[in-house]
This record gives sequence, structure tokens and C-alpha cells, in this order.
Amino acid sequence: MTEVVVRVRDLVAEVGRRRLVDGLSLELRAGRVLALVGASGSGKTTTGLAVLGETPPGVTVSGEITVAGREVGPDRPPRPGAVAYVPQHPASVLNPVRRVGGVLREIAERHLPDPPRSRKARRDMVNALVADALRRAQLPADRDLLRRYPHQLSGGQQQRVVLAQALVANPAVLVADEPTTGQDAVTRAEVVDELRALAADGIAILLLSHDLDVVRALADHVVVLRSGVPVESGPTDRVLSQPDNEYTRALVAAQPRVAVEPTDPTDDREDGTSQDTGRLRVESLVAHHGSGRRRRIALHHVDLTVAAGECVAVVGRSGSGKTTLARCIAGLHTATSGVVSVDNRALAPSLRRRSRTDLASVQYVFQDARGSFDQHRSVLDQISRTAVRLHGSRPADAAEAAMAVLRRVGLGEEHARRGPHRLSGGELQRAALARALLARPGVLLCDEITSGLDTLTQQGILDLLAELRATTAGTLVLISHDMGVVARLADQVVVLDAGHVVERGPVAEVLATPTHPVTRALLGAPEREPDELIAR
Amino acid sequence: MAGLSPGRYALRRLLVGVLQVFAVATAVFLLTEALPGDAAVALAGDNPDPARIEQIRRVMRLDQPLAERFADWLGGLFRFDLGVSLVSQRPVTAFLTDGLAPTMLLAALTLLVLVPVAVLLGVVAAVREGSPLDRAVTTVSVGLHAIPEFALAIVLVAVFGVQLRWLPPTAVGVGDNLLRQPAVLVLPLVVLLARPICSISRLVRAGMIEALHADYVRHARRLGLSPGRVRLRHALPNAVAAAVPQLAHTTDWLLGGVIVVEAVFVIPGLGTTLVDAVAARDLPVVQGLVVFFAVTTVLVNLVADIVSFRLSPRTEVVR
Repeated sequence: MTEVVVRVRDLVAEVGRRRLVDGLSLELRAGRVLALVGASGSGKTTTGLAVLGETPPGVTVSGEITVAGREVGPDRPPRPGAVAYVPQHPASVLNPVRRVGGVLREIAERHLPDPPRSRKARRDMVNALVADALRRAQLPADRDLLRRYPHQLSGGQQQRVVLAQALVANPAVLVADEPTTGQDAVTRAEVVDELRALAADGIAILLLSHDLDVVRALADHVVVLRSGVPVESGPTDRVLSQPDNEYTRALVAAQPRVAVEPTDPTDDREDGTSQDTGRLRVESLVAHHGSGRRRRIALHHVDLTVAAGECVAVVGRSGSGKTTLARCIAGLHTATSGVVSVDNRALAPSLRRRSRTDLASVQYVFQDARGSFDQHRSVLDQISRTAVRLHGSRPADAAEAAMAVLRRVGLGEEHARRGPHRLSGGELQRAALARALLARPGVLLCDEITSGLDTLTQQGILDLLAELRATTAGTLVLISHDMGVVARLADQVVVLDAGHVVERGPVAEVLATPTHPVTRALLGAPEREPDELIAR
Repeated sequence: MAGLSPGRYALRRLLVGVLQVFAVATAVFLLTEALPGDAAVALAGDNPDPARIEQIRRVMRLDQPLAERFADWLGGLFRFDLGVSLVSQRPVTAFLTDGLAPTMLLAALTLLVLVPVAVLLGVVAAVREGSPLDRAVTTVSVGLHAIPEFALAIVLVAVFGVQLRWLPPTAVGVGDNLLRQPAVLVLPLVVLLARPICSISRLVRAGMIEALHADYVRHARRLGLSPGRVRLRHALPNAVAAAVPQLAHTTDWLLGGVIVVEAVFVIPGLGTTLVDAVAARDLPVVQGLVVFFAVTTVLVNLVADIVSFRLSPRTEVVR
């Protein structure tokens, strides 16, 4: 057995009287991966920060934490660089005004094992350290990357740069906070490979995640947290296949699975009619990003027809154009050419030139529910505004209607009167759905609305969407990279890759016999396809 | 913006700048033409005799069509020939170069003191946010910012120039080269510095506080970088970037010759030149000065945008 790198005993974190973490103990050895699993708000991040010797404002922490033989607490941080931290949103820890290479060299300069006197030898050593860290973070060691600023990197690259910064400092432990949230299956597999390679190098990894697939692929040991209380702990294989605890069982069961049987018996009935009387029709849509010489095409003549009451899933890797398609339908992005029509009425390409009726007919629910609400006004206020603006209701009527919709999505008066900051991510996403539904839309666009939520909350939202579909004849366009979600809700699937529709058809058919490599990769099927995709 | 190199961007902005200056020049020419009154009559003296007015009109070519005179004037602009003064027959460019020396001297000295002092004050206040020092800096800067230049200038002259007699109250009698007697520059400098130091140090302080609380600063410390280095290399560029547009505004203001300050201290800079030219209805000089101010404004803002871009490459600059 290798040495114990992190030891946590009876960790308690409190805000006022409320306990965020309650009596957590764990032990992590060099080269091993320990996963902390739980819904959002279960105390995973608080624990991760405690290992860094940090506490969020207003939180008091007690208990014993040792990292690499040194006791760690709020006033006693670990040896600088000993604990690597990759936060959930890597962009936030990258300085927007500093080039990638400059910062890496600056950190390396600080962590040279025994700095030589001569300036040249020093520079060579720094460069060697940086090159080694880039290699281990699976980044190319070319000058072009080093000269870039963070905003010129993709999300995956940003994460790897944060990782490379940590590796330059030669860490003993890596705390990875939700490293795969919001990423498609292919990227997820790459992250898993990266982390596995680091563990093989002897770094102890503390994985904070609600993504059970990733936990299964990586972790040796799992600790399940429920509202800060460790409810189950043990080897990954055992805990995730035969959970003892009821809560763990619920977590495992709530995970969306790729089911191959058709989800909706009404499928057949609508198949014949959907071609001519589509509620939503997109014809030969072409869209570009950027302007001038930097203009590049995002959608190549995309066609889409969705019947009333039907749910179509648009899937693809990040950057494949799925969000652009949704934004063009909603008028948030002005298409270059092509027609978007709802109930045979063509909509203006730009939001600004659409009538109120047209605006009401297409509603958009965004991935980031928190970002889509004003933090300073109550939820009810903001939702009822939909009815005031789009249907010209009087404020009192609008509030009443809003309340009715909120109840339908499972939120009560007490939620509605609060400000958005006092609702959880799942509750806010329900509120966002209520806001869209209040407009009585013909087409509802849901853009990755469950990614970033833990499996239980995700299941709640998906149940709600399924119920809404059953009770209203609304047409649903689901943007997702999660095939489990798609299998659960959609009738039809459209697979986008680099702006082209590469495959489409009924869900059951596409999921059972995917023909295009991208679809297979998204389903996580064969192992060799991803390289092929990246090479393109 | 990411794909546009600073060089190409500058070139593009320069071309737009030429158009802007051209538009200003046209507007100025037409506006001065539209002014009521007749320059020839004004120049002819108290008891004008019609023959004399007619003669002046011919010398000034006021009898020729507007379009022709405009074309000539524009052509002159491209050769740096702005015409001659109606009053003294001196070339307008001579007025510009005479006024420019004191104005440039004051502007350069002001900026030389302004930038380090304002940044230092802002950083110190931000690093000790909420401390007595921070509160003192903030309170004084708000108070000082509320005092207009003419009031401060007169009070300073009264106290240090007249009562205490420590410093010369005005630059009368020093001549064109103010550096021969540097003491005359002290009071004008203090007045010119007062408000910009306040506004810029407050912007730097706010930017610095925001940067110091940002996740990337906390993360830099986690990675073992020293606190001083984190402040200097990670937080400060973000903070200074926020103050650059205001600094550009101040520079532009200084290069325009701060009329009030020049008037109080009797400094023969561009501001004084402008006031005199307007009073004497010396149209070519007024036109020349306005075109010059347009050129400096365009150039200063161009430089500021390039500096902002270098400091904070995310900034979307106006194309």
C-alpha cells in the first residue's frame, strides 16, 4: 500500500446552525482516486476547499485534516502547490489579461527544485518544467498555445491549462470539482483518461462529482454524501452496483439510461402527419458566426420539421451548432438565409422584428437558470412579466396566472416570493420553465436544461417535462448531449456535426442502430472513433 | 477582435480618424462662415470707410465663392498650411507652435506625475480596503474632485502667491520658455492634477478591489505565487485597464489647453491662443485650432484603445 496523502477526520463545516458537512472522515493514498458523490449542495465543494485549507465566507470548519504529513486548517494552508485544485468553472481561475505561457513560467519559476545561479540554466529548467506539465495535462507544447489568452481557448483547453498550472507546482493531491459537468461523452472520456494518467503518476485524486459514469470509470473508493452526512462508503464497484444505503440506491436509479424501447406510444400516429403539417418548420437554415474574414459557417442548410406535441432532440458535440440552431429559431441569432416558421407563419430572422405573438410562440429555457434571472427581483415578479409583456395582461392577473403555472411546475407561493439567489439550481430551472410556459408557446426550446444538475434533481425536471408534454400539445425542441435524457423524452433525434445534419430519425431507431460515427461516439459506443473525430 | 492584430487595427482606426478629422474640418469651416457679422467690417476699425472694407475683403478673399475658398483651405490642410491670421498676417501654424510648447510642457509634466501617483494611491487604498488610509484617500478624493479648477486656482494663487509669497502667482513676464523659471509651473500643475488624480485613483482602486476578490487572484496564491507578485502581475493589469479610457480623456483635456488654468496663471498656451483668436474674430486661427484639437482627440483615443487592448485583450474595442 502506498502512503496516505490526505487524511480527513470528523470534518464538520457549519454556517450558523446549519451543517454543510457533518462528520466526514476519509483517507486517500498516493495514486488512488476517491470520489465524493452526492447531489448539489451535499457539501462536496466545501470538503474539497477544506483540503486546500480554505473556507467559504461565513463557514466555520472543525476537524482534523492532514495533507502530505502536514496539518491543514484555515490559518495553516498546505505547502503552496501541494494541493492542486481544478474548479468546476476553470475559466474563473484564469486571469483574463495574462497569456497561458507567462503564467505557467511564473509558477514554474517559483517551484524550481533547486534554482541554478545562471540565468540561462534557470530559463531552461523553467521551460522543461512547463513542457513536462503541458505533456501531462495532454496539451500540445507549441508556442501558439503558450501565446494565447484564456478567452482564446476552448472550455476543455481551459480546464487542461488549469491542470497544467497545478502540475507545474508538483502537487501530491488533485481536487477535481465536477470535471465533466456540461461536457459531451467524447470530451468526458478524454477527461477520464487524463485523470487516470495522473493517478498512474502517483498523484492522489479527490474527485467531487455527481456524474456516476465518471465515478465508475475512475474511482477506487466512493463516499456518498447526503446533505453533508456520509451515508455510505466503500469500493466503487460494490457501492455503485449493490448499494446498502437507500439514498445511494436512489442516486444510482435516478441516472438516466439510454433505453432502446420507444418512449412514447403516440409515435406511430404522428409519424405520417409530421411531414406536411409541422408546427415548427426550419427550412434550409444557414447561419454564420463572426464577420469579415473571421466569418465562419455554423449551420449548413439545416432542415427540421416538428409536429405539434412532438419532441425532437438535437444532439451533437459541443461546437456542433446545436445551440446556434436553437438561437436562430428563437431569433437570438440572425440566420444568414433560410426560413423558420411556426404554424405556417414565417418568423422574422431577428428577435427585434418579431411581433408579440411571434415572440410568445417560441420560448427558450437556458442552461444556466441562475444567469437567466435578475438577482434583485422576486421570481414571481419576473415570471409574471412574461404575461404583461407578451399578452398585455394587467399586473394582478399576470401574477395570478404566473402563480398557477408555478404551482404546475411544483413551486409554491413561498418559493415565488423569494429572490432567485434563495432558490436551488433545480428550483430555478423549474421557475424558468414556468416563465416560458406562461407565454403559452407553440414551441419550447430547452437548451441543456438538465446539465449541471445532479441526477436526482435532473430526474425531477425530466419528469416534469414528460408530464408537460403529456398534458399540453406543446412542441419541444431539446438540445442535449446526454443520450440518456434524449432517450427518455424525445420522439425524433437530429444529430448535428460541424453544422451538418449527419443523422436523423425516430429515437428508438437512431439509438439502437446509429449509422454515423458521431452518433456512436455520443452514445459512448466504440472506443476508436473519438480519435477519428478529433482528427477531422 | 481576437483575430485582428494591433497593427492592422491601428491602421484601420487611423483611416477612420482621417475621415473624422475631415468631417470636423468641414463642420468648423461651415459654422464659422455661418456666424453672424462680417469679419471685414470688424477688422476695418471703428469708423470704417467702405473702400477700406472692400480692400480688406479682397485681401481676405471674402469676395470669392464659398466652395472655392473651402477647397483652397482643405488643400492647405494637407500641406500643413492653415492660412494666415486676419489680424497679424502671421501664419496660423506659427500660432499653433507657439501655444503648443507651454501646453505640451504642462500636459507632459501633469501626466508624468499623475499616472504613478494615481495608480499608487488606488493600489494602496485597495490593498488596505476599509482601513483608515483607504477611507482618508477615498474621502479626500471625493471632496477634491468636487472643487472646480477656477476655484482651486484662485484660492491657491491667493494663499501661496499673494499671502505667503512662496510661489509666483502667474507666469507674467516669464516668456515662452516656462522652464527658465520652473517655480511658475508648480501652482498650475497642482490645479491640473487635482481632479484627474482623484478620478483615476478611484477607478484604479475599484478595479483593484474587484481584481483582488476575483477567483484568479485567489488561485494564483494557491499556486504558491507571492502576494506582492500576485498584486503586481495578476491584479494590477486588470485594474489599470479600467482606468485607461479616463486617462485618455484627461490627456485630451490637457492637450486642448485648459483654458481656465491658462487664463488664471497667464500661460501663453493653446487655450489662451484660442480665447484671443475668438475675441479678435480671427477665423483662420480658430479654424486651425479646432482642426488641431480634432487630430489630438482622434490620436489620443486611438492610443488609449491600443493600450487597453494590450492590457486587457478581451476588451471589445469599437471598430
